Amino acid sequence: MTPTPSTSKASLTTYLQVAPLTLVLILFFAIPVALVVVVSFFRYQMLVGIVPDFTLKNYIDLFSNPTTWTLYLSTLKFTLIVLVITFVLGFWIAYFLVFHVRNLITAIGLFLVCTVPFWTSNIIRMISWRPVLGTEGLINSALLKLGVIDQPLQWLLYSDFSVVVAYVHLFTLFMIVPIFNSMARIDKSLLEAAVDAGATRWGVVWNVVLPLCKTGIALGALFVVTLVMGDFFVVTVMSGGLSGSATSGIFNDLQFLNYPRAAANAVILLIVVLLIASAIFRLVDVRKELVR
Amino acid sequence: MSASPSYGSRPWTFYALALLFTLFVIFLYGPMIAVLVLSFQGPSASLVFPLRDPGFMWFDELFSPRRTGDVAGAFNRSLPLAILVMLLTVLISVTAGFAFRRRFRGSTAIFYMAIASLIVPGLVLSIGILVTFRYLGLSATWYGSALGAHLSWALPFGLLIMFAVLGRLNPSYEEAAHDLGASRWQTVKDVVVPIVFPGMIAVALFGFTLSYDEFPRSWLTVGTKNTLPLEIWTMTTNVTSPALYALGTVTTVVSFAVIALALSSIIIIQRRRSRGR
Amino acid sequence: MANSPPKSGAAQGSGEIRLVNVTKQFGNSYAVKDINLTIPHGSYCCLLGPSGCGKTTILRMIAGHETPTSGEIYIGNDMVVGKPPVERGTAMMFQSYALFPHLTIQDNVAFYLKMRGVGKEERRRRALEMLQRVQLDHLKDRMPAQLSGGQQQRVALARSLITNPKVLLLDEPLSALDEFLRLRMRGELKSLQNELGITFVHVTHTQPEAIALADMVVVMDTGRIDQADTANVIFDRPATPYVARFMGGQNVLTGTVTGGGGPGTIRLKAADGSHFETMANGEKPKSELSVAVRRDRIALRRRNGDIASNAVNALWGVVSATEYQGSYVKVTLDVGGQVFVANVSDRDYFAEPVERGDPVVASWKTEDVHILGKVDTGAAGDPYLDAGH
Repeated sequence: MTPTPSTSKASLTTYLQVAPLTLVLILFFAIPVALVVVVSFFRYQMLVGIVPDFTLKNYIDLFSNPTTWTLYLSTLKFTLIVLVITFVLGFWIAYFLVFHVRNLITAIGLFLVCTVPFWTSNIIRMISWRPVLGTEGLINSALLKLGVIDQPLQWLLYSDFSVVVAYVHLFTLFMIVPIFNSMARIDKSLLEAAVDAGATRWGVVWNVVLPLCKTGIALGALFVVTLVMGDFFVVTVMSGGLSGSATSGIFNDLQFLNYPRAAANAVILLIVVLLIASAIFRLVDVRKELVR
Repeated sequence: MSASPSYGSRPWTFYALALLFTLFVIFLYGPMIAVLVLSFQGPSASLVFPLRDPGFMWFDELFSPRRTGDVAGAFNRSLPLAILVMLLTVLISVTAGFAFRRRFRGSTAIFYMAIASLIVPGLVLSIGILVTFRYLGLSATWYGSALGAHLSWALPFGLLIMFAVLGRLNPSYEEAAHDLGASRWQTVKDVVVPIVFPGMIAVALFGFTLSYDEFPRSWLTVGTKNTLPLEIWTMTTNVTSPALYALGTVTTVVSFAVIALALSSIIIIQRRRSRGR
Repeated sequence: MANSPPKSGAAQGSGEIRLVNVTKQFGNSYAVKDINLTIPHGSYCCLLGPSGCGKTTILRMIAGHETPTSGEIYIGNDMVVGKPPVERGTAMMFQSYALFPHLTIQDNVAFYLKMRGVGKEERRRRALEMLQRVQLDHLKDRMPAQLSGGQQQRVALARSLITNPKVLLLDEPLSALDEFLRLRMRGELKSLQNELGITFVHVTHTQPEAIALADMVVVMDTGRIDQADTANVIFDRPATPYVARFMGGQNVLTGTVTGGGGPGTIRLKAADGSHFETMANGEKPKSELSVAVRRDRIALRRRNGDIASNAVNALWGVVSATEYQGSYVKVTLDVGGQVFVANVSDRDYFAEPVERGDPVVASWKTEDVHILGKVDTGAAGDPYLDAGH
């Protein structure tokens, strides 16, 4: 996932080619993020709004507020649960497509079946769980009809459970694609060599496939972590407002136009995400992977 | 010899994983199909099964601004915005992809900036862009700040796809074209673009759908007029009729049309290529 | 080639391989069809043929990476079809070497021991011993990508040998090496096989490689075996026109038997009217027969006037190309539109050089003519017409 190595020397054309990308990234990524950091040290005054200053008050406010801690803890809990589920699903689905489906065309077709929903609206996909999980939803009515339960299950919708279901529904694809990508590049004779050496089916997965998919797993985990950590909408809709997320605080501050504190909260979120990201990459040692 | 090694009869793991895969696909598509079905109901409709007197009334309801919000207007903003993002993403990430084939000063910095832009939570960026526009004295609009917010996410995706595509483009094709007397422009037009064209369609698909469905990055940046995902979001809180599902069906149909268009054009190109024209 | 199963005889550790009526189908096409082959214990066997002839499929079926559609495969006394590779006593060296890219070369070699649950200390020690054997112990902590092609091949060899196999299967082992290294590794493989005394089965598409290495060469053509014998027999007395052409070094001639020639010989008449003789072997008159003459058994002289119409074992033609090969010169003739090649020793050639366009007469002795088991079905469309040297 690095730029292709150089073939010839840079010229003016090269800089012209990369200029639009750089411009967009500076204008709509670098400056905004930098400003968020700056504003997080500003003061908020009722009626006046943002007042330039250098104060740590916003951060102190946040850290001394137990709600912040609860919200972050709850978000981390969701992140961990979703990470584990999407990894297990993503790994085995990719494994099935790469190593079990013999026909290449079939494998690509099934892969597309998995990816198509990614290109449709997230919000609609999220809402679509309502008629399935609701009190009068498909699952409850089916269970009632079968006589398994005599009261509708209340924890199916507007609960932590439904939040996790929606996350898994929305984000598993971000695991499948990078893992599929690294798996597809594994030389099939490596598996045969392992079988030759007496490795069992599980031994091959553990000793050969898993280590060679590390990069894909790391990328997938990175996507899932940033998406879940940065999410506000899924948790709000699917928990029915019962659970909050790290971003809920930002949302509330923005309602009161308290931009400095929202910015401080955003900076904290950013730092937490970056810490997790760097931890993932340390665990995998991407540089070593790139040597090969 | 054969494309894939044969293992005789299929092992039990095949059946276990095939079952897992099937369940996953049901999990993926089941709810969407439920919404699709529930959107075709009559006036006595409710938000859950069973289906009550099938009909199209909620689609009519959708575009008459009596009860629901400004759905038609949201469509009229979301579609042009998505097309604009698509075109710019293709143009910018393809040219940038070519720049990255050479080593140049700052390439690593720009690469990491693109990756960081992919990772940063959308809401954080949304706040940042809003604040930036305030300081610049501009007001947030869907064709200004929202466009930029969408590009900051679509471009890194496009760039990564272009890396994958251009990584497979052997530089000797271009050298061969030069040897045969092609000018720079002719090389791009007659050699490079035809080879990377399927990749460009993939970039276009990403550009369109990332913008068309984007929520967090749009939230603070669209200004006073909503795009479609924001409109749906508003409806989830105040609309309790199947009109919501009807809207879901309409947007999903648009998404599927775009996907089908992209995939079929890729397939047509590949098939034409393998047939040797 | 004895195909009857040995009643007792072969010891438990025997590396004799027997394929009985083995067929492998992929979809509707046959990769190999009805193969019978016995590779004796302790021999160096080369499976030789062009790509797509099924040689790799045979190797992979012996290794257990493909299952035959029908037929039986025995290693020693064991029928191994359906058995996992590790129970067969085979080890395979892959064309790409298939070294695990995420493991050091020591861990690559120790992989088999790890799978058997051997402790870390011991497997490292034994892997190191094996690396010493291939003189790579000083590189034990390198990753495979950091090694040269030749070094990677030695690691692959060490990794295969640590399983203590009865049979070593090598899939185009020398194809990824440059010419110099290829010749050196060729010698090392041969001496390694002598030293270990186990069966080597080596798949290749290059004739010199097969001839140099093998005790037994198996020449294959689209899914079947044309000839399996010693290198000398294959080269000197090919069984079919296909083998003669594929091995190179032979001219194939076809004619109709017209009757007896000299004592103990029969006479053939070719379509272009020329006559040749060969040792009689009970061929019926009027039947069609193909024969082969080695290129280095041909004598060339400049043509002065016409040759007699009843001349035997002589063709007249025009030189279409000469190619200097060091110890000999390859002279290609155009004989009535057909290609005919004479390898003339450099001394004879330079005594009387011929050039492109010169009319010449090619002649040979009756005892150098060898009868082929099949009638040549025409060289046209045969891509191996001018293969070899």
